[in-house]
Amino acid sequence: MAYKPKKIVESLEYNKQWDEWARQGNWSPVGWRWIEGPKGYRLDKLSTTNYLVIQRPHASLYHHSYGMTSKFFKGLLEKKLYGSKCPKCGSIYLPPRAHCWNAECRLEETEWVELPPRGEVHTFSVMAFSATPFLKTLPFIIAYVRVEGCCTTVPTRLLKVNPWDVYPGLKVNINFVEHPKGDIMDIYCTPAETPDPSKRIMSSETVERLKDDMRKVKEWVVRKFGSEAKPSIEI
Amino acid sequence: MSNRVAVVGGGISRFDNPRYELHEEMCAEAVREMLADNSNIDYPKDIDAVIYSYFSDHLAGQLCFHWIIHDYLGLLPKPAYRVESGGATPIDALINAFMYIKSGIFKNVLVVGWEKMSELDTPKVNEFIAAASDTDFDFPVGGYYTGYYAVLETRHMYLYGETEEDLAKIAVKNHNNATFNPYAQWRSQHGTTFITVDDVFKSRLISWPYRALNCAMISDGAACMLLASEETAKKFTDSPVWITGVGLGTDTMRPGDRVDNPMYRGLYSEDESIYPGVSTKTASPYPEMANFGSIRVSGDMAYKMAGIDNPVKQLDFAELFNPYDGVELAEYEDLRFCKRGEGKILVREGVTDWGGELPCQLSGAHTAAGHPVGATSIAQAMQIYWQLTEQTANKWKTKARALSGAQRALLQGHGGTGCQSGVIIFERG
Repeated sequence: MAYKPKKIVESLEYNKQWDEWARQGNWSPVGWRWIEGPKGYRLDKLSTTNYLVIQRPHASLYHHSYGMTSKFFKGLLEKKLYGSKCPKCGSIYLPPRAHCWNAECRLEETEWVELPPRGEVHTFSVMAFSATPFLKTLPFIIAYVRVEGCCTTVPTRLLKVNPWDVYPGLKVNINFVEHPKGDIMDIYCTPAETPDPSKRIMSSETVERLKDDMRKVKEWVVRKFGSEAKPSIEI
Repeated sequence: MSNRVAVVGGGISRFDNPRYELHEEMCAEAVREMLADNSNIDYPKDIDAVIYSYFSDHLAGQLCFHWIIHDYLGLLPKPAYRVESGGATPIDALINAFMYIKSGIFKNVLVVGWEKMSELDTPKVNEFIAAASDTDFDFPVGGYYTGYYAVLETRHMYLYGETEEDLAKIAVKNHNNATFNPYAQWRSQHGTTFITVDDVFKSRLISWPYRALNCAMISDGAACMLLASEETAKKFTDSPVWITGVGLGTDTMRPGDRVDNPMYRGLYSEDESIYPGVSTKTASPYPEMANFGSIRVSGDMAYKMAGIDNPVKQLDFAELFNPYDGVELAEYEDLRFCKRGEGKILVREGVTDWGGELPCQLSGAHTAAGHPVGATSIAQAMQIYWQLTEQTANKWKTKARALSGAQRALLQGHGGTGCQSGVIIFERG
């Protein structure tokens, strides 16, 4: 075990089957192919040869401590939004830092403050592809949001808005998911105001192209994952 | 400066996906090309030390891969070590080799870089690369590198008004350059016909505003470069290329932390002032989440060392780190090819096209030549070496992208979202 604590104050114990699932694969081949492929260091010097390609899976279970920022993530479990504040310069961090990075504060330890669940979009993108864990929720919007009073921006999912209606400066509310799990996905944003069409940053051609893109991505996700597909953008 | 450092040779094993040869076999091919091109290298006797460049242990499921490569190349028991700094890995390796030689401890240092990214499917490769972002904040919300760079480009577009068409023009330039490059993945997979802006718009959306043809490829490949001291360089070649400037710089791990970053506040006041009134000004208006401060810092350091005060006039061409096309556009500004906000003008006026005043990415670079992370900047450095020694026409079997009489070039590389950057200035002897 990665951690054997002296005392467990409170917990949600994980399903111990994960220990077994994390041993899945064990780097042992589960299949192979004898294939024909190209050989050569330049395109004008290629020949054909055979290669043996094996399939070799493995998995891991990480026991990860959030360290001195743990209160922030415990806060998420309790549906409270905390930032960290430097007692010397007053900077408020979200994402939190346990030590202030302002040079004159010489890595002073910060203190916890509760933050208002409000902010504004600093910048954003519309995801039409992703890493493995998030494919089923495509397409979705990621916004970097400056929560009121903070000197940094936090990445969040932005929901309940058309992607072309999002712009830097859009006011948003921070919301908690119904069942927090203890990571940053426990919060998401929604517009706190009706988006102002005159502030759009996309041209009308871009909007039309993006609508078409969103349709294609949704079709792709549904084709790939069937009923497990949960596209995050409603159009 | 005494004890100058020269480039005296190197090689590339082509970029493609997949390459079925083993990592060490691709590296051996790159070294074989170097040895075939330069019979003056007494191998392995002339190699004093080796720096190995590869990015992710996850991609190969193999730690300390350089131990495998080092003995495979027959270089035991010589000193060797590995550099890893994300996308900056290969330029970091080259700069380290430069400093090894400058230290006087080693005369000739070989740099070998590679990556094999084809063993995993594309979403999993994105996942493992995203492990080089903050896995407590940026990754869990569905972030990955295309997404991070996309939010930065959205901000740059918002502030300075370049369009998706400007980005597409960069894609067209780079892909069409790559059709001549016999080491390029795009040429292997697509062929030699040119593409247009419309082809870019028809390619799949990845993270708005980036479409598939705006994005770096996932590639396998290898490259190597031999650096030598002034004293030993003449043994290897009559036409060395000198490294006359190097620079390094850094910025925050999380791009979202850049808005009020106290470490950049006031560093570049002129660029801070070029900030449109569309938005509340951040406390650190340059680079905030639009430009790349680490690239500015590394570029300025290298320019100072090389005596460059007007890059567009004093450089003949450049190979930039362009995982996404908006990055190339922002780099024009950060490397002082133009003022902040004017990157789009360079694109529209064709300044960085073939035939322009400062051609960029004649190799095709990340989006078209390919991006096997640990090899990329070394292969770009080799293309610079071949241009400056006028070997490109022979190597590529065409004069289509071969410069004549070029004297000086810039190589820039970085990792993360510009978390760490390096710049090298090369000059012909």
